[in-house]
Amino acid sequence: MNAVLEAFGMVATTEVAIAILASAAYGMVIGALPGLTATMATALLVPVTFYLSPIAAIATIITASAMAIFSGDIPGALMRIPGTPASAAYTDEAYALTRKGQAEIALGASLWFSALGGIFGTVALMIMAPALAEMALSFSTFEYFWLSFLGLMCATLVARSSPIKAIAAALLGLLVTCIGIENPGGVPRFTFGFTDLLGGIEVLPALVGVFAVSEIMRAMTAAPPPPIPHRPLGSILGGQWALTRRYQKQMWRGNVVGVLVGALPGAGADMAAWIAYANSKRFSKEPEKFGTGHPEGLVESGAANNSALAGGWVPATLFGIPGDTITAIAIGVLYMKGLNPGPTLFTEKASSMYALYMVFIIANILMIPLGIMMIRASRHVLRAPRAAAMPMILLLCAVGAFAIGNNPFAIVLVAVFGVIGYVMERNGFPVAAMVLGIVMGTMVEQNFVTSLIKSDGDLLPFFERPVSSVLAAMTVAALLWPAFVWLLRRLRRPVPA
Amino acid sequence: MHLSDRMTGTILMMLGVLAFWGGSRLPAVPGQDVGPAAFPMVIGGGLVLCGALIAIGIGRSFEAPEEAPAEAPPGLAARIGGLAAFLPPVLLIFYVLVAERLGFLPTAAIILLAAALALGAGWRLALGLALAGPLAVHLVFYKLLRVPLPAGVLPAPW
Repeated sequence: MNAVLEAFGMVATTEVAIAILASAAYGMVIGALPGLTATMATALLVPVTFYLSPIAAIATIITASAMAIFSGDIPGALMRIPGTPASAAYTDEAYALTRKGQAEIALGASLWFSALGGIFGTVALMIMAPALAEMALSFSTFEYFWLSFLGLMCATLVARSSPIKAIAAALLGLLVTCIGIENPGGVPRFTFGFTDLLGGIEVLPALVGVFAVSEIMRAMTAAPPPPIPHRPLGSILGGQWALTRRYQKQMWRGNVVGVLVGALPGAGADMAAWIAYANSKRFSKEPEKFGTGHPEGLVESGAANNSALAGGWVPATLFGIPGDTITAIAIGVLYMKGLNPGPTLFTEKASSMYALYMVFIIANILMIPLGIMMIRASRHVLRAPRAAAMPMILLLCAVGAFAIGNNPFAIVLVAVFGVIGYVMERNGFPVAAMVLGIVMGTMVEQNFVTSLIKSDGDLLPFFERPVSSVLAAMTVAALLWPAFVWLLRRLRRPVPA
Repeated sequence: MHLSDRMTGTILMMLGVLAFWGGSRLPAVPGQDVGPAAFPMVIGGGLVLCGALIAIGIGRSFEAPEEAPAEAPPGLAARIGGLAAFLPPVLLIFYVLVAERLGFLPTAAIILLAAALALGAGWRLALGLALAGPLAVHLVFYKLLRVPLPAGVLPAPW
């Protein structure tokens, strides 16, 4: 109980309150602008978190990401352009509702079920994480190796792309982490004589490059979104209670799917929304109405993408394995603020964890009034010309990367990773897999090499301990799954002559 | 910048060979079998394998069909085609090269102006952005967050 009170004291400060409000407004605006994603919003926040207390820093990330995931639904419903990839799954549905003159139902459902999903996800995080922490305490390097490896494999499984390209992308990310002197021998590895490379590639400039600069690069060759038509909006939360009662089962299913997909390494809010929408259609009593402006799918997937956000924090805080791209960034901030992820975070820094839960709840409650304001103001916010927003983001990328260590080399990294991310995306390589590789590389190598040293170069002990053998089996299954799916498809559908 | 699978696969294979070879030349830790070489060599091997599979087109059936290319926006981009995509990284490198000598405010103004014009902004919007943007960013990062942005030839008024 003491820890809870202490946590309350940490959250109830002016600094945290200002951090939450400011990052909420920021997240709402960035999420609503098409082409600016929740991950980009989070990555650009990191330099600012340097100057905040640990709890305020985490609060900005949690709040901004939650708001951005919701507000990505706004342009989706009004203009049929998803503001963030997490809204893409049900954009057509929401827009169909708008065309039927029920924009307020679509936006209200997004808002209401986003907030409920976020709160459910937080409760799940509160229950799941400490229970798993107990188990994680008995893990050795073998388990950690398989766990991180399995995380990488999961990321390649859920990518909507060729699994081989996803694995290649993850390997590229791992290769990036080989650079520097932080390796088992302490020798300069792949530094090519550059002193700037001795310290290794920092994760944050790489993330800013991949998620922000490559997005700006794409905008350079894509047509700007059309102007938003004026539509009068009725009461936004008006019909939501009736929807909640009518689609209660769908809401719970969406919540649960969201948490599980979110907790899966590498799969985040966008994947959760796709899966929840597909589930909703499959199990619906009236699947023929889907796509014509039917709120059922909206309820389920809107709930899923926000609960996924909290689910992503489960592996992030427990093992330092990011559940999605947003927690990949958050892990960096956790380390920076002395809240190193791991099972001991729940015992030694319990009050910080309680504070984190509180921020999650506050952010999701705050989402409702702020979301209503944002929906009402969306006509004006969405009028902001892309030709002004994108250059400002570019400038912020440069200044933000520089601010991390007052080192101009970070800006070079941002540019390089922007190009890498852009080229990879254009050729069907999922960048999320590479990012996961970059974030987890050091961990994979450390546990791999330590385990090998412990076993005298023998591979057998990797499979001997009970938990590690289960994890190994899961990893192998994940590796072979695409081949299995391919075979199944071949058998089902006879090859056309 | 769309490359064929054969091309990207070959590039990955070459990268894998380089990683393997570079890793194998690293000095070992005395008295130990496993050292800094193990990890890059494993990754290099994996990259060669993946590159080969990609080059021969395995796994292509899992890829989502490519979206229809969007029409080119007005402005500069229309004239130089796909190359316009590479303007943002070029501007970032430009910042690294000149910011120290020229100072933050003029450098940032040039970047904003160039990027806005390339995205099809009118002169009024682009100039307004180039005037107000750098000052706002400088105020927040230099004054509030105390990031040592270079003063150069044009120091900020605060």
